[in-house]
Amino acid sequence: MNKEKKVRTSRVSAIAALLLASLGIAACGSSSSSSSSSGAPAPSSGGSSSSGSGGSGGSATLNGAGSTLAALIYQQWGSTLKSQGLTVNFNPVGSGAGIADLQTATVQFAGSDPALKSSDTAKMKGPALQFPVAFGAITASYNLSGVKSGLKLDGPTLVNIFMGKIKSWNDPAIKALNPGISLPSTSITVIHRSDSSGTTKGFTTFLSDVSPTWKSQVGADKTVKWPTGTGAAKNSGVAAAIKQTSGAIGYVEQAYALENGFTYAAVKNSHGQYILPTIPNTSAAAVGIAVPKDLGISTINAGGATAYPIVSQTFLDVYKDPCKDGGASSSTASGLKKFLSYAFGAGQKTLGASSSQLPYAPLPTTLATQDNTQLQTMTCNGSPVS
Amino acid sequence: MGASATTAPGGRSVFQRSPASRLPDQVLKWGLRALAAAILALLAYFFIRLIGQSEKALSSFGLSFVFGNDWDVSRNIYHGFPLLFGTLVTSAIALVLGVPVAVASALYVTELCPRRLRGPLSVLVDLLAAVPSVVYGLWGVFVLAPKLEPIEKWVASTFSFIPFVGGQVSVPNYFIAGLILAIMILPIVSAISREVMATVPAEHKEAALALGATRWEMIRMAVLPYSRPGITGGVMLGLGRALGETIAVVLVIGNAPVVGHSIFSQGYSLAAVIANEFGEAAATPIHSSALFAAGLVLFVLTLIVNIFARRFIARGQRGLRGTGATGVTVAQAGAPE
Amino acid sequence: MRGVLLTGALIALIPLVLVIFYLLQKGLSSWSGSFFTTDPNGNFFGNPGGIRSAILGTLEIVALASLIAVPVGIGVALYLTEYGGEGRFAGVVRYFVDVMTGVPSIVFGLFIYIVLVLAKVGGAFTGWKGAVALSLLMLPIVIRAAEVVLLLVPSSLREAALALGAPRWRVVARVVLPTALPGLVTGSLLAIARGMGETAPLLFTTAGAFGLTFNLSQQMNALPLQIYNDILSPRDVVVARAWGAALTLVALVLILNLVARAIARRSVA
Repeated sequence: MNKEKKVRTSRVSAIAALLLASLGIAACGSSSSSSSSSGAPAPSSGGSSSSGSGGSGGSATLNGAGSTLAALIYQQWGSTLKSQGLTVNFNPVGSGAGIADLQTATVQFAGSDPALKSSDTAKMKGPALQFPVAFGAITASYNLSGVKSGLKLDGPTLVNIFMGKIKSWNDPAIKALNPGISLPSTSITVIHRSDSSGTTKGFTTFLSDVSPTWKSQVGADKTVKWPTGTGAAKNSGVAAAIKQTSGAIGYVEQAYALENGFTYAAVKNSHGQYILPTIPNTSAAAVGIAVPKDLGISTINAGGATAYPIVSQTFLDVYKDPCKDGGASSSTASGLKKFLSYAFGAGQKTLGASSSQLPYAPLPTTLATQDNTQLQTMTCNGSPVS
Repeated sequence: MGASATTAPGGRSVFQRSPASRLPDQVLKWGLRALAAAILALLAYFFIRLIGQSEKALSSFGLSFVFGNDWDVSRNIYHGFPLLFGTLVTSAIALVLGVPVAVASALYVTELCPRRLRGPLSVLVDLLAAVPSVVYGLWGVFVLAPKLEPIEKWVASTFSFIPFVGGQVSVPNYFIAGLILAIMILPIVSAISREVMATVPAEHKEAALALGATRWEMIRMAVLPYSRPGITGGVMLGLGRALGETIAVVLVIGNAPVVGHSIFSQGYSLAAVIANEFGEAAATPIHSSALFAAGLVLFVLTLIVNIFARRFIARGQRGLRGTGATGVTVAQAGAPE
Repeated sequence: MRGVLLTGALIALIPLVLVIFYLLQKGLSSWSGSFFTTDPNGNFFGNPGGIRSAILGTLEIVALASLIAVPVGIGVALYLTEYGGEGRFAGVVRYFVDVMTGVPSIVFGLFIYIVLVLAKVGGAFTGWKGAVALSLLMLPIVIRAAEVVLLLVPSSLREAALALGAPRWRVVARVVLPTALPGLVTGSLLAIARGMGETAPLLFTTAGAFGLTFNLSQQMNALPLQIYNDILSPRDVVVARAWGAALTLVALVLILNLVARAIARRSVA
């Protein structure tokens, strides 16, 4: 028996030694990023206890999940808010999973690109609030030798390209929109998202808006049956595919396209103007739109004359009473309110077109004000959150 | 006569074990039995929950969930034959490409390679298992797929008379997915084959050589038959990996819910669809149920494949027993009484 | 014939060389002292931080998962080879285990998500739930591989020990297990390597975090989660971090491999 014991104990002790060594490295490493949750006691009450632990003196841990479009924003804000005692974790699993997590109160907030549907709110544990937070344009990016800028496309042409009816770049339809550009005869390769995504929903909503044929044959959803083209996973996959294939066209999130210097087309908006997906043009999509009472806006094909037509909004969803319905402690609720105030306040200044801002379009001031007003209705077990 | 010398107090023979010393045996036996039962209960619970979650989709679509050809998320229609097709095609390609290479390398390492190289060579092949699947997928999509595209185009045009080969070549396709899967199952099949081949009794090999067999004949007569059940076990594990591999396939198969017309077409697989769509499906009951049902189909598929595999192994073992290749018992059986 | 087998072995190594080379090419540049000693910080500009919390999280979660899966797996395999034999019960266990090897990793994650996370058993997203999901993934692999290896222990050895009067448990402990040890180690390592690299089970159970924590009842970071998060980023330096993390993962598994093999070799003597 001794030998096996020795074998087993020596194996265990080897693993233990490895662990201890790495812990030692960690201990000697910089201690500046020790999270507030490392020493915090595990949630005490079983069953409906939340995962946000309230620590000492206004520090809290907020866990969120959802939209990949907004993930970069929340991660940046999380980094900034850390110095103020707030730990924000965001899991970019997709808007649907984020909403599902909020419905079971396994997270304190959800990031969702589409507005909450009645079927979503029906399954929530209590009334939920949604706050528009930022906007991201969806660019029509392409790879065409010799055409580095100035390409104009309109809705119907995009529909026909993505339906496979327009097969080459020098098709008369494209030529008609771009009289000054010499278009090669390269065949068009359509690249679309293969994974489920709010970006797809935004793009296909635009296509459905401008074409009843598209609406009836393909529809608008996070995943659709594409009539033609190759699927690539995630923005990075689509970006890589476009880069690798001459003559490719695909739809890519603005943050991506801007950061990586993509070539994208100017798309015709509902006012007849050809607009490039710049940040100001993206913000313009939210100006003058109808804002429903629950703030569930949609910015596709909306906005003023300078608005880019394919813009996706993104929401932060929380419970109106996180303590009662979400099982949060009062300090977590305060932390949540602090996070949201930051989101509509100082956080908005981190978004924009300058080189030190994140490439997303901030809220127009009217919308930010509306968000703040709605925020004041948040309660903790009935009483307003401090 | 020797009764007193061999009788312990209490009247039992010293050659009989005391009840107390039997206790650890019983503990072990019943402990292990309980463990196996607990695991079985856990797996059964898993299966039952899986069925429960899939129920909605299966009752809505019935058999057309498996055999219908229309996976349309925006219309909430979930007929998953393209997924099943893709899973089968890519796994078949993975086996055809991966198993021979794995077995060959295992044979080389155990039989032919210089002793000193044995350790390092096995570690190297096993290192393939260390690479996370997402890395394989990314390497596949950024490096392998573009590089192989011209070759695929050439094959498709030259051999277009073979069904399922000719036609348009898409950059992410069944073949690339199958190839990546082959690489991923290589270490599993190879490692287990190696372990199995290393335990072939020396007497078998020496007997074959003594009868004048060449190296290769010895391998064919002594090593391979003995190792067949074990290698098959390894292949089953590898196949399981191929059937269920998610992230790598997602990146290189193209994710088009269609039944591709050639191995160079885009397709989809059961595992990939779950990874791709669950993030957004979580809030739509019929959609998430359909995804669980896809997992269930995979479950059943693996079961069917494994039933055949076990039957194959059993037949092989019966054959082995017939030829008497089961070690010392042969000599014992032949010994004069 | 020698040529054919040698070619086979070399073909097996080609993808390894290509992939490792690619990994080194893309990941080595992000390796640095601070890479291993700082946590990721989520900053969009400037230094995005290192992967310390991911490394420690992975080690902790996989250690817990292995602690569950390896002993239990070997135990079940022992049952199947020593006591189960051809019986009905053993047959059913075998089939279930076989089928489980084919279940996609994401389904295990979703199972734990539904059973433990959504039901909020002991918290919402926690590190230990990720470990449970991983152990579910690893268990069938350990059982299957261990069964193959344990079956290879010649019955003559067992019979000899029994003939010498050793009780069953002694035979198992001092004859069967030591003989099968190298194979058991290999099988366990295969399972652990698999567990270390899987993303999907963790995505829905541990959910990830940037900050460092050793508390398994909180959301934790792990290398596969970090890679998944970083690969999505439009920033080159963050994508480079993902590759550096992937390289770290491979290096960790390699170290684990070498250490475990050295231990096994010494104890078999």
